[in-house]
Amino acid sequence: MEAQLFHIFRNNPFGRETLLQSIYFCKKMGASPVVYIPKFTKFLMYFENDVVQIDLDSSYLSSPDTAISHATELLEEGGLSVRFFEPKHYTATTLPDIHTNFDYMACPRSISDLSTKIGLGYIGPKVRRIVNSARFPVLITSPVYKEWDRIAVFFGGSANAVNALKLGFRISRETGLPLDVFTYVGKVSLESYEQVIKDENLKKEMDYFVNKWHIFEKGIFEENLYEVPHTALVILGAYGHGLIKNFVFGSKMEKIQSTISNNLLIVGPNYVATS
Amino acid sequence: MKLTIHEIAQSLYLPLGTVRRWIRQGRIPIHKSGNGFVFNEAILSKWAAAHHLTFSPPKKSPEKQQDPELETLSSALKRGGVFYDIKGDDGASTLKAAVEHINVLDSHAKEKLYQRLLERENLTSTGIGKGVAIPHPHNPLPDADFRPFITTCFLEKPIEFAALDNKPVFVMFILLCPSVKSHLYLLSRLAFCIRDDSFVEFLKTFPSSDRLLLKIADFEEQLDRADRY
Amino acid sequence: MRIFKSWRYPASWKFFRLDDRLLLMLMAVIVGLCSGLAALALNRSLIAMFNWLHKYHHIWWAFVLPGIGAALSSLFLEKVVVEGAGHGVPEVIYSVSRYGGLLRFRSSYSRLISSCLTIGSGGSAGPEAPVVMSGAAIGSNIAKYFSLNDRQRVTLVGCGAAGAISSIFNAPIAGMVFSIEVILGEWKSVNIVPIAIAAVAGTEISRILQGNQIVFSHLQFNIDLLDIFACLGLAILTAVASIVLTRMLRSMYGISHKISAPIWVRAAVGGCAVGIIGLFLPVVLGEGYHAVQAMIGGTFSQGLALVAIATLAKVVATALTLGWGGSGGIFAPCLVIGSLAGLTYHHCLILLWPSISWVNEGCFALLGMAGLISGMLQAPLTGIFLIVEITGGYEVILPLIIVSAISTSLCHYIEPASFYLKELVERGHLLRPGTDARVLSDLNVREIIEEDCITVKQNMLLRDFINIIKISPRNYFPVEDEKTNNFLGIIHLDDIRAYLFNPDMYDAVVLGQIMDTKVDVVHPDDDLSEVLRKMDAHQLFSMPVVSNNKFLGLISKATILDQYRKELVVQTSQ
Repeated sequence: MEAQLFHIFRNNPFGRETLLQSIYFCKKMGASPVVYIPKFTKFLMYFENDVVQIDLDSSYLSSPDTAISHATELLEEGGLSVRFFEPKHYTATTLPDIHTNFDYMACPRSISDLSTKIGLGYIGPKVRRIVNSARFPVLITSPVYKEWDRIAVFFGGSANAVNALKLGFRISRETGLPLDVFTYVGKVSLESYEQVIKDENLKKEMDYFVNKWHIFEKGIFEENLYEVPHTALVILGAYGHGLIKNFVFGSKMEKIQSTISNNLLIVGPNYVATS
Repeated sequence: MKLTIHEIAQSLYLPLGTVRRWIRQGRIPIHKSGNGFVFNEAILSKWAAAHHLTFSPPKKSPEKQQDPELETLSSALKRGGVFYDIKGDDGASTLKAAVEHINVLDSHAKEKLYQRLLERENLTSTGIGKGVAIPHPHNPLPDADFRPFITTCFLEKPIEFAALDNKPVFVMFILLCPSVKSHLYLLSRLAFCIRDDSFVEFLKTFPSSDRLLLKIADFEEQLDRADRY
Repeated sequence: MRIFKSWRYPASWKFFRLDDRLLLMLMAVIVGLCSGLAALALNRSLIAMFNWLHKYHHIWWAFVLPGIGAALSSLFLEKVVVEGAGHGVPEVIYSVSRYGGLLRFRSSYSRLISSCLTIGSGGSAGPEAPVVMSGAAIGSNIAKYFSLNDRQRVTLVGCGAAGAISSIFNAPIAGMVFSIEVILGEWKSVNIVPIAIAAVAGTEISRILQGNQIVFSHLQFNIDLLDIFACLGLAILTAVASIVLTRMLRSMYGISHKISAPIWVRAAVGGCAVGIIGLFLPVVLGEGYHAVQAMIGGTFSQGLALVAIATLAKVVATALTLGWGGSGGIFAPCLVIGSLAGLTYHHCLILLWPSISWVNEGCFALLGMAGLISGMLQAPLTGIFLIVEITGGYEVILPLIIVSAISTSLCHYIEPASFYLKELVERGHLLRPGTDARVLSDLNVREIIEEDCITVKQNMLLRDFINIIKISPRNYFPVEDEKTNNFLGIIHLDDIRAYLFNPDMYDAVVLGQIMDTKVDVVHPDDDLSEVLRKMDAHQLFSMPVVSNNKFLGLISKATILDQYRKELVVQTSQ
């Protein structure tokens, strides 16, 4: 079945950048976008073990009469089929439910705050909760439309990082783009990372897909991020659990996203790898 | 026991989505644990039985199941063997002599088979024309515990067999299958070969067993190609 | 660290893995205590607010108080917690039936605060529905925190509701019955045991903190046979009252939504209107438990006309409060309207047959309450047990059952769906466990799709197609475009049987000519009930599933039946 990307359309120039980014992602990945044009400022997403209410800011509802035509225009320009999402169920009359059987979801860095605040350095709490409960990876778009021609995976050894790495392999396979892996060696030795790769039987893929494994051994983490190509799609796992958390990039998600303006594809703890 | 969700779905013969939903909804005694799913095998199989579901956990060394469809004409022919100069003046005696040659069966089974073949011949002749007959029992043999085989018998002299085109029969293919499905499958393949006149001419030369099998293999290749398309 | 981590996943402990009943009982205690406390908190703050505002009640502008309260409460719901208005019980039932009882955390306190503002300031509404919503949300969030599965979560939602009702009325059985009858709609021992425990926990916490008091104490009643006959009339009266209240609520809602004013202005208008009524008839203000107490005790000394007017006024006030955007439930107003109706009926009886010695008026007030609760909720058991428990009067049980039963059936006849369920029924979202709608809503197209169809290209010759028919297990062949692989149509074997045996056609026809292009297709996200409706309407047995112009598979009635049955078996056993 074709992969689907869920996109909430905001009918203003900022929203256009985001939609363009989604369209670019879909074209690269052969996915089809499902666009939701909100009619109410709030909606519910029912995940497996959580329900998240998303409160959109009012800019999502601006000029509803042109929203469909604007979105259609952009999608058709991108050569993609146009499909809008119509909520079928409502928890309350002004509170539509949105199912979560998507393969990706595109989010600006924050969806419940004013767009003027949206810059770098802050992932909204709702976006964070979506990442945390979703079975799909979340595409956090760059502030302006930005193409990418390579893939960078941050690998920190946790289960999520392993999932991120697998997702990186998949995207590299589907798009044919080169893949780089970045690891910041903290207190633990490099061998432990290699051991993780070995335990997960990823050695072969690692050799096959990965262009270069960049290892940062010294310096401040943020400073090393300059090494990440600015035209890369950055894939990372979010929220490592327990002990591992200490040496995982997971806890460094905020740092990464606040330092680089690339498109981020974030894999949450509930992500289920689909082959 | 810990398995992946794919393995669980497979062993319960259910769609993946259903199993995943049932686990989420707590309808099935399986718990999520990390990336895998844990369950107690005895409890799960009891649960499955109570809900009219089948549960067969994946085997460590999966036995290769023999699909009867995989049986090819050549292997059936090879198994049955090729015999020449079968004696006999009429249908019954020829069949009797032919059955004696089938070395796969013991004498008791041979006698039974012979009776069955005669019954079938009494219904309508299995002489399908062009001097070829394909004697076979009406129903698969009960307590059949063998792989399908075809015994080829070239007769000493052509005999009357009440064939469709009234031509005397010079070759018999005795076809024996444990199931109706494989029976039809082999019969249709054999009939396909015989429909070809050049093959019948080839048969008239009383070819050796090896040459016959080679020829048949040629035909089968054609058929396979058509099927695969 | 590992131990620290695993305490949040009790369901995976070996001890609980074999049977989760123990786990549920343990959780039920926690949930019952928490929701009981939430109910008490609301009760206490209502009393505090009432006392605080009491001194302002003689001032001439006191009538705006309910307006201010209602406006504040709707502002709070709309802007602060960003939840919809309404009392929340339909939301709980909806979530229980569709999403395994997942509720937002904010629901566990939002309604408490908003209804406290509405009721405390004098709006005519009840604290019970908000308390039920909070209790349910507390149960749901506790289940979520411990990563329990849907079935366990639903039970805990029921536990929360039971604990809340038990605590606020000091009535464990009523809480239990309400939770099972209204919220879950399924009587199974796996649910009943934890819910009973939660009800006990909720009651106990209220008894510890508030003392074991019966909400409405009453006098001894001596009920004659004649009184029981008189109940029949009362049942009809309460049924009429329930229907009037239901209709009034709906029409008020309709009227208020026609006005294009901000939501808090509407609430304020409704609240002020209630305040004005309250100037003349103070009995309509607030949840009205004092008035009920007086009526049962027989100390509510008003004439027939006044009582009848008060009944109507309370109906109107409730409709004004709830229909115009105030926050609160229908439970307490029902009790007040019911007892007023009972009183009216009693006065009428005395007027008509002054010679007969009727039973005390308090008894009729009591029966009236039961009648109205049963009529509005269409939950006769809840009505019966609640009244028996909150009055401690077991001797009225016989007329109580009669009134409840008749009132429920009459209301059901005129309004097929109860007050809590109406919204859901209208949207087709009432999915009680074990029903057809529930099974269909759980199954989805992705689970029953069959992907073993062989697709063919539109320019293929019939001759080549014959070979495909030979090996295909199915009678349907989707046709695709060569280049784009887009779905074009479908060939059904039955339609082309005529050409199949005509060798002359083999090279003369390509599949594009014989396929059926006007086929109804299914999208993988379609609801199964919708798909089945389409199939029935067009007498189809199979339909292709197409997404984004690509053929994905086939769904057929045979597979649906197969999966449907498995689903039904799994859903209804336990």
